[in-house]
Amino acid sequence: MPRPMRFGPLLATALIVTGLAGCATRPPASDPEALAEFVANNDPMEPLNRGLYEVNNAIDTVALRPAAVAYRTLVPGPVREGVRNALGNLRAPTILMNDLLQGEMDRAGRTATRFLINSTLGIGGIVDVAEWQFGIRGHGEDFGQTLANWGVGEGPFLFLPVLGPSNLRDLTGAGVDAVASPWFWFGQGEVVEILRWVRTGMTVLDAREGVLDTLDTLYATSLDPYATLRSAYRQRRNNEIRNLGEPAPEAAGGTGFGVGVGATVPPAPAQSPR
Amino acid sequence: MMPFGRRAGLALGAALSLAWARPASAQMDATRAVNFIQTTGNALVEALNSTTLNAAQRRERVASILRQAVDIEGTGRFILGRWWRVASPAEQQEYLRLFEETLIRNLAGRLGEYQGIRFSLGRSQQRTEEDVLVTTSVERPGTPAFNLDWRVADVGGQPRVVDLVAEGTSLRLTQRSEYSAVVQRGGNQVPALLTAMRGQLQQMQARQ
Repeated sequence: MPRPMRFGPLLATALIVTGLAGCATRPPASDPEALAEFVANNDPMEPLNRGLYEVNNAIDTVALRPAAVAYRTLVPGPVREGVRNALGNLRAPTILMNDLLQGEMDRAGRTATRFLINSTLGIGGIVDVAEWQFGIRGHGEDFGQTLANWGVGEGPFLFLPVLGPSNLRDLTGAGVDAVASPWFWFGQGEVVEILRWVRTGMTVLDAREGVLDTLDTLYATSLDPYATLRSAYRQRRNNEIRNLGEPAPEAAGGTGFGVGVGATVPPAPAQSPR
Repeated sequence: MMPFGRRAGLALGAALSLAWARPASAQMDATRAVNFIQTTGNALVEALNSTTLNAAQRRERVASILRQAVDIEGTGRFILGRWWRVASPAEQQEYLRLFEETLIRNLAGRLGEYQGIRFSLGRSQQRTEEDVLVTTSVERPGTPAFNLDWRVADVGGQPRVVDLVAEGTSLRLTQRSEYSAVVQRGGNQVPALLTAMRGQLQQMQARQ
């Protein structure tokens, strides 16, 4: 996805400028409990983040959620599963790189094997033959997690429109993953450019569809969805960093909503779209 | 606060003798916690998969199992966190009433839609000083299994659920963050949270 990267510096500047105006006040040391909570929330830019959260909700209401509902309604389940598998397969080189950078040779081996099997027998990754026939289960990994493994702290919490909850470390990781991916470098010309845009669009659509029920339940039951998402994101990331999750993430990238938006304990049952 | 009477004296004595007799042992032992979750889980699955009950009856049955299994007061106090001491006794009582209603309705309502559910105990049980985390794997037809962990503590001599952890996300931690944000944004006033909870409960009642 080379094109969106060009807006990177612009976005960063805008964030810093508005961020300075939107800082939360740190509680005084005389109130240790309030201070402890402030530290635990890790959200010094809360006013700005809440503003961006509203922007995200506006975009989500008019575009992302309706698109995800339409996608679920119009496209049959097996086709959506194929799309999800193919997108996951395209992420495999990134996952492999991060497995290796974390020194997880066993997991790296599984990722490489899966990529070889699914790209060939699985028809470009559409069918997850590796799990279905060989029992080799996939897992997610990203540079944000690698940085965490190297001891890099998470930095301030960020809420970004479309991308969702993140932090400085995970956002940086997502940028590195994008640039380090072979798909960023291979090929040129109009067709390749179009394919890249298709992939980006399908990733957003697939990710939003993957959390449709979870987010619907969260917005319906939380008294402060922003605070719920902030807490759940941090917990989920810590779980991912320690590689504790059992099932492979369905539609997760490094940053953003991912799968286990948590909070819906137990996860919402799959509903027919409303 | 209760005056330091006979009951408090007894409790203190019991606590001291326990600490005396088993200085290194945890309040909750793993086997008891696992058995408790096995029993509770089986009861829930049986209620959820019952063919003789209708949806409303299933919800009612699930709610009564949860009321017995969950340490509602302790969990409610944990979730209100530092605002518990700020609240007046009347506010505390009102909060606990609203919390119980919301929690039970939420869980029972959502679980009530789980038909054909199965669960199995996981391999690992983590122990901390105060409680045991019992790992289970929950399966529904047509969806991948997910991890649901139950934090079990000893409450007044009985094992009770004090937290649910889905895929590493703790319900009570998330909810504490949520409630605290509501109190703070309401000008550090607990009544702001109570108003929001009342509104939410009314919406839930209207839906069911």
